[in-house]
Amino acid sequence: MSVIYGLIPGMILLGLVSVLIFFWAVRAGQYDDLEGPAHRILNDDDIDDHGSDEP
Amino acid sequence: MIHDSGLAGFYQRLRSQEKTLAPPPESPADMEQYDLPEVQQGFVRDLPDGRKEAHLLVEGIHCAACVWLIEKALAGLQGVVRAEVNLARQRLWLQWDPAQVSLSAVIRRLALLGYAATPFDQENAEGQMQRYNRRLLFRMGFAGFGAMNIMWISIALYAGSFSGIETEYKQFFHWVGFAIATPVLLYSGGLFLASAWRGLKLRHLTMDLPIAIGASVTYGYSLWRTLQGTGEVYFDTVVTFIFIILVGRYLEAMAKRNASSATLRLMELQPRMATRIIESGEERVSVRKLVPGDRLLVRPGDKLPADGRVLSGDSHVDESMLSGESYPQHKIAGSRVSAGTVNGEGVLTVAVEQIGSGTVLSRIIHLVEVAQGSKAKVQRLADRIVPWFVAATLLLALLTFGYWLRQDFDTALLVATAVLIITCPCALGLSTPMAVAVAAGAAARQGVLIRNGEALEGLSTVDHVVFDKTGTLTEGRMRVSRIYAVADVNENDLLRYAGAVERNFSHPLARAIVQEAERRGLGFAGTVQVQALAGMGVGGLVDGVQVWLGNARLMTQQGIALPAELAARQQQIENGMGVAVLLAAGGRVLGILCVEDRVREGARELVDLLRGQGIGVTLLTGDSRRAAEQLRQRLGEMHVAAEVMPEDKSREIAALQQQGRRVLMVGDGVNDAPALALADVSIAMGSGTDVSMECSDVVLMGSELRKVPYAIEVGRLTLRTIRQNLMLSLVYNAILVPVAMAAWVTPVFAAIAMPLSSLLVIGNAVLIRYRMNRFFSRQPEVVYQQRLQGGYST
Repeated sequence: MSVIYGLIPGMILLGLVSVLIFFWAVRAGQYDDLEGPAHRILNDDDIDDHGSDEP
Repeated sequence: MIHDSGLAGFYQRLRSQEKTLAPPPESPADMEQYDLPEVQQGFVRDLPDGRKEAHLLVEGIHCAACVWLIEKALAGLQGVVRAEVNLARQRLWLQWDPAQVSLSAVIRRLALLGYAATPFDQENAEGQMQRYNRRLLFRMGFAGFGAMNIMWISIALYAGSFSGIETEYKQFFHWVGFAIATPVLLYSGGLFLASAWRGLKLRHLTMDLPIAIGASVTYGYSLWRTLQGTGEVYFDTVVTFIFIILVGRYLEAMAKRNASSATLRLMELQPRMATRIIESGEERVSVRKLVPGDRLLVRPGDKLPADGRVLSGDSHVDESMLSGESYPQHKIAGSRVSAGTVNGEGVLTVAVEQIGSGTVLSRIIHLVEVAQGSKAKVQRLADRIVPWFVAATLLLALLTFGYWLRQDFDTALLVATAVLIITCPCALGLSTPMAVAVAAGAAARQGVLIRNGEALEGLSTVDHVVFDKTGTLTEGRMRVSRIYAVADVNENDLLRYAGAVERNFSHPLARAIVQEAERRGLGFAGTVQVQALAGMGVGGLVDGVQVWLGNARLMTQQGIALPAELAARQQQIENGMGVAVLLAAGGRVLGILCVEDRVREGARELVDLLRGQGIGVTLLTGDSRRAAEQLRQRLGEMHVAAEVMPEDKSREIAALQQQGRRVLMVGDGVNDAPALALADVSIAMGSGTDVSMECSDVVLMGSELRKVPYAIEVGRLTLRTIRQNLMLSLVYNAILVPVAMAAWVTPVFAAIAMPLSSLLVIGNAVLIRYRMNRFFSRQPEVVYQQRLQGGYST
């Protein structure tokens, strides 16, 4: 049974890694717009699009 | 409630320790920049009386109590004229006197309260909102991780309690639970702890207080049990309910953002780039670099980047987003165009006149934002109730705890926690602002601008509508409607003579005739010896022929006989609403021009519709009694007050109000400002002039009359929704609080139920949009058809 002294901290560590990945994903803006990317693939980028320029 | 004096005292103490106690989020030097005129230029509007006005985006507003707190604190600041918080948009609408207080001082005061405020501009707003949502998401994600892991620990403990577990392992699991719950409480739950603490420091009960107490008491008790090494722990409860409440908050933030996104959508209308014509050809520039006087090229399908005047080109422009007018408007050289409208088939060259905040689009956005943030009376009541509500919650929790303590401590703690969590003043606080924001946004897209929440309240109770005739039921513009020429004369020749003489005058009749001639593309001959005979008409020599234009008296005076057929026509016109202008050339009458102000399309249907709803209708007009009577026969049964001087209009309204009527005044805002101001609610039609925008509660951007019943319907629907929402939140609490007190629910269930009630209220508010969209799809066919079939017998 004493194996749990190693396994449980290990589990928490793994969990923490996934939290860090989640934080990275949020920071990278992956959760900012949940709808846009689905449509973006349909946009042609070789057409002079004068609505969405300017930083 | 904080007494004004108490609040001031708090600040005096705070100010003396400002440096150590609460460092503002930005360095003071950074804040001073907001006082520089160059910086202010971007977001501050100067008001006519020397005061200034700006919208600030305030981070951290999430409940009605914050609104109350900020408004109260700023009201105590010398020189702040107005401070109103928009909960849905997290904005602060600020008016201040720059002589008494600087903008940086206001921002610093907000920083002391724990709110970071930045001047609002579109890009920044999105950024701030995103940052807040991200912070929520981080905390939610972390709490989620904690909840998942602690669940395993709980399962192990549950299993252990059934099948037996060695104390050593049980103790270990307790410590693991502690290790997970502590960071979750401090980091994820930190939002609630910090907000509750801020409220307490100001001796104010915020909505986060019960949550904070519930979480920390359960945590503290579990920690104590862990240290003692006996009994059950509830770390899993703490973690799970923090997670669930954060999920609720996040969904709420999303829903709020979507619900009131009308203004953002309006802003999206404005393109960011324009094609400027320069000497060497054309260039693409940012809209912000445009200056008045620039010449722009607008291609078919382009959005217009700025307000201006067409220099050349011929096209139709879709203005529906601004005015709700469904047909594209014809634009030729000299026509005005507005930013955000869409060019149709032709190429236009446009001279820029207004850019940025000066455009009609910006003014509309401004009005809508003010309306979304403004409060109805119901709302002020709700704002005041919240602190009491929280106090009652705490008291109930305490009573519950005391009652269940007789049984055992563990049950008492959990039940009291459930009571703390399940009561939800959020739904109460959200019910009104959400409804107002959604209604104002939905109406704005139909070209109906509602300026404040009180207007919605007023519209819902209207039982009498007063129309100012000119510009509302009629077009407010004299036009040549018919031309009667004698047998051997061509209509256009007649008009050519008339135009040649009349273009020397600026009387409305003269302008109407000249316009008609121009519309038909007629050229004018030169005119000499022009003269005006007061009260009779005008005359002049056109190509050597003496031409007279005027009434019958003029003809008599000039000794010109009026043929019997034309005399009958003249009588007929004057019995109606028109003015008959006789034209004589070379000593004989050639014909009559009938000039009249036309009744607007849909006027009759409007009057019938209103009367069908039991709403009284009064028509105010300066015209003669005979003309007014004529109009009444064409529009249906209503009360007509004729020969009313502009300054007497408000008296008519006062009289109606004395009879206990709730009066809606519909005018064009030009000469009826006092009447518009006096009426319970007022609608200004069409023009969209600054005057009408300033003095009326609702502005119709277009001139479609059916927007009037639409506005009334929006008001009724909004009030109904607000009442439903208040009922919903009261019923929710009335049912679930006793259930929680009876120990039938766990704290985790309570944490699920609480955000649900908020979401229900938001959802109900969002429904306004769909219900209102149905209004137009239903209205033209059903109601108007009915009127057409049955209503024309009189």
